[in-house]
Amino acid sequence: MVRSSLGKAAATCLVLLPAAFAAGENPCATCHREEARSQPHTAMGIGIQLPADQTVLKEHPRLTFESNGYNYAIERKDGLSMYTVSDGVGSLALPIRYAFGVSAQTFVFEYKDHFYESLVSYYPSANGLAITMGSERLLPHNLVEAMGRETSGEEMVSCFGCHSSGGVSQGTLTLESMKPGLDCEHCHPGANTHLEAVSQGKPPAAPSKLGVMSAEDTSKFCGACHRTWDAVVRMRTWGELNVRFQPYRLANSKCFLGNDRRISCTACHNPHADLVRDEASYDRNCLACHAGTSSAGTALQKSCPVSDRKCVSCHMPKVELPGSHSVFTDHQIRIIRAGDRYPN
Amino acid sequence: MKIPARLLVFSIALIARADTFTDLAAQATAARETNNIPRAIALYQKALEIKPAWAEGWWFLGTLCYDSDQYQIGGHAFSEFVKLDEKVAMGWGFLGLCEFETGEREHALEHIRRGLEIGTGIEPAIEQVLRFHEVLLLTRLGLFDQAMPRFMPFVRRGVKNQTLVAGIGLTALRLALLPNEVPDGQQALIAAAGQTAYLWMVGDDSKTEPAFKALLDHYPKAPGVRYFYATYLLSFRPAEEAVVELKHELEVNPRSADARATIALLMVRAGASSAAFPLARQAVQDGPQSPIAQYTYGLILAGTPDLRQAIEHLEAAERLDPASIEYHMGLASAYSNAGRHEDARRERRRSIALARESDSSGPK
Ligand code: HEC
Ligand code: HEC
Ligand code: HEC
Ligand code: HEC
Ligand code: HEC
Ligand code: HEC
Ligand code: HEC
Repeated sequence: MVRSSLGKAAATCLVLLPAAFAAGENPCATCHREEARSQPHTAMGIGIQLPADQTVLKEHPRLTFESNGYNYAIERKDGLSMYTVSDGVGSLALPIRYAFGVSAQTFVFEYKDHFYESLVSYYPSANGLAITMGSERLLPHNLVEAMGRETSGEEMVSCFGCHSSGGVSQGTLTLESMKPGLDCEHCHPGANTHLEAVSQGKPPAAPSKLGVMSAEDTSKFCGACHRTWDAVVRMRTWGELNVRFQPYRLANSKCFLGNDRRISCTACHNPHADLVRDEASYDRNCLACHAGTSSAGTALQKSCPVSDRKCVSCHMPKVELPGSHSVFTDHQIRIIRAGDRYPN
Repeated sequence: MKIPARLLVFSIALIARADTFTDLAAQATAARETNNIPRAIALYQKALEIKPAWAEGWWFLGTLCYDSDQYQIGGHAFSEFVKLDEKVAMGWGFLGLCEFETGEREHALEHIRRGLEIGTGIEPAIEQVLRFHEVLLLTRLGLFDQAMPRFMPFVRRGVKNQTLVAGIGLTALRLALLPNEVPDGQQALIAAAGQTAYLWMVGDDSKTEPAFKALLDHYPKAPGVRYFYATYLLSFRPAEEAVVELKHELEVNPRSADARATIALLMVRAGASSAAFPLARQAVQDGPQSPIAQYTYGLILAGTPDLRQAIEHLEAAERLDPASIEYHMGLASAYSNAGRHEDARRERRRSIALARESDSSGPK
């Protein structure tokens, strides 16, 4: 992961600060350029699309779907996407305020003081709408039920807790101050105070450095949203359904040495940048431990008798998550032989 | 049970005449089969003096003694029996039951469990007896967290009697006593607590809440009551409400390691580990036998560089309550951070196994 040198940042930041604000850039960019410029545009930085920025729905101005005798349509008009469900007799139309996700999208509505999760979602793999994961078995009895699944207050608190910043305060929804996606403060508590301090020329009162966390602790950190190993065991999610919980899968791999940062989430993923889709780019991560020759005197593991490139293509297979219309990468790195069952 | 002296003299006279092992064994069997218990016991003892490797002899001597409430001799007989044949579940089971009666509680628990672990060859009715003694012993030894879930199968099966309810009540209030050791003045409290816990275990929501309210009204200051209510609240209410009750518990029961540790644990979960630290430390000092105190203190230490101490406390928690998934998971993570990867993997496997077990056994 490339990161700005902080020594340099400290030297230049005071000079550049006003210019950065003027450009409407993330205010941290003056000093932490790499992180601040890319992060807001990542999937985690976006998290939820509000009406003006609903790129997925803009690209698909008319989507339709039929299920259980109900017809669904999402149409874009006057800067708003309307979600309409009809049963041939009547219909119900609601504006989409919150489109969760940037690739697949599920919509959240407020209807008569309750929150609903849309019964249909947009899935890139379907290039259109399909039933939302988790709602496959619901049989709607009326238009409201066909529109979406009523959620509990607690559930909405958790949705906005993981997908937004400022949307939840002390366990209750604070949608007035909700900013879609994760801002710096969400992962770096104290960052805002720090920004204030440095802007006023005071000692930086820097947030604690996350880059020193062990692999185990990083997994817990990311697991706050991607689910920790413990959380998956508590939920008792077995089988392919747990493939989306990378901290669980990774810890079950023989490669996972909790005190070795070479296997930490952030060794392979820069949380401030887009997910890298090029398989070969992960080779260096594997070879950091599995190279034939030692460079830095670090402990070395066996090397591969089969290939010396695109390691993840064989050892981290793609698995379709049942019901999600999406494919995930199995983080339980391992040798896979023909006929092997998905290990838990 | 008293043995008639007349019979004793008679048997001694008889024994004096028989001298070979085969004779004695045959006479012992005959006495047993004709229900002449004191005579059978004496004959078995005599025969076993000649041939101490006679497993069957120890077995019958043991069962005869057990049936006639002679637990000291019975216990000795079964301990000799298991030395000769350690694969018979009921040998261990009876040994434990005898020890239960003679007050050797740690041994009793160990041996009953050994019998249950072997599993095969125990009649369901006797298994119930063993399991019931096991759970009473756990409570008597202060291992309340291990005990509580073990009452569940009885409740689910609809068993309900005074001893069971008292056992549950003692466990709920965290009193390390056997039902027959409860002082007179406390019996009503224990029965009320047991009854409340019983309703909660049955899942009768409409009656559980009022039962708790009544318990709190009647016994607002009895140690254990507020803690018990707090654990109930934690199952469905925000943590703050439980904390209020836990603080009440500490007012009447200032050294309650469980209450203090639970407050600390809730603070840790809310992200306030450093504030929780002194509470957890005191809880461990007050109650080194409290698994939740050991766990909470270990968990907080696991977030500091002192992993060695963290692991010691987490291991202590795990020893005190090996059935808790949380303790195994806490330990897995600490081992992992400490570079003890094999240990971490083992704890992970155990956590998964326990989670899967409780998965299939229905409501907790
Ligand atoms: C004016 C320059 C400046 C700005 C603006 C600024 N920082 Fe910093 N930041 C620093 C300096 C200098 C340090 C190093 C302080 C130290 O080493 O004690 C630092 C340290 C940090 C650290 C800890 C990194 C480490 O290696 O110890 C984080 C995280 C961080 N900043 C995040 C942010 C975020 C998020 C923002 C915007 C909300 C921000 N900073 C804005 C100058 C700045
Ligand atoms: C506060 C919650 C939160 C935390 C903490 C978090 N994530 Fe995420 N992450 C999300 C959400 C929500 C998404 C899905 C965003 C979307 O698609 O709109 C996501 C998506 C991702 C993606 C997929 C991006 C893509 O393009 O498909 C990666 C990779 C990722 N996170 C890695 C990490 C790593 C590594 C960490 C720890 C350093 C981490 N996350 C911590 C909430 C979180
Ligand atoms: C515990 C944190 C958490 C909660 C709660 C949560 N999410 Fe997510 N969500 C994530 C993470 C992490 C991802 C990305 C990885 C994945 O898909 O598993 C994600 C992915 C998604 C995606 C797919 C995004 C994409 O770009 O493909 C959608 C849609 C979504 N979430 C909607 C919701 C809705 C609606 C709720 C509430 C009902 C919700 N989420 C609650 C963490 C969370
Ligand atoms: C999803 C969580 C997440 C978000 C959001 C996030 N960061 Fe980070 N950041 C991390 C993690 C994790 C690390 C440590 C990476 C590593 O292991 O090397 C980190 C590292 C950094 C560092 C290096 C210092 C350190 O703590 O190791 C800086 C500077 C930084 N981030 C700035 C930012 C800025 C600026 C933003 C907002 C524009 C931001 N981060 C948003 C998770 C996040
Ligand atoms: C050894 C490298 C490696 C490590 C360590 C690693 N990942 Fe990944 N991760 C990958 C690869 C490879 C992909 C798939 C990239 C692609 O789509 O081509 C991926 C994909 C993802 C995705 C996108 C959804 C998916 O499953 O395809 C998320 C989210 C993610 N990782 C989160 C994490 C988290 C959280 C951790 C730490 C627990 C982690 N990763 C650790 C290599 C790694
Ligand atoms: C932190 C160092 C580390 C990293 C990074 C790492 N591994 Fe490993 N890997 C190990 C260790 C340790 C073992 C276990 C070796 C043993 O048991 O002898 C292992 C074992 C394996 C095995 C054999 C597993 C089995 O099922 O028997 C494969 C295959 C493997 N690694 C592939 C990879 C690939 C591919 C990557 C990159 C995506 C990777 N490793 C990254 C340390 C690492
Ligand atoms: C074409 C698929 C493929 C690719 C690509 C691949 N491997 Fe393998 N790898 C395998 C297979 C199959 C085995 C099992 C070989 C056997 O034991 O028969 C294996 C075995 C291993 C082992 C275990 C070796 C041992 O002696 O136990 C490691 C470690 C490993 N691979 C690492 C890697 C790394 C690192 C890369 C990338 C540099 C990589 N692999 C690329 C298929 C692949």
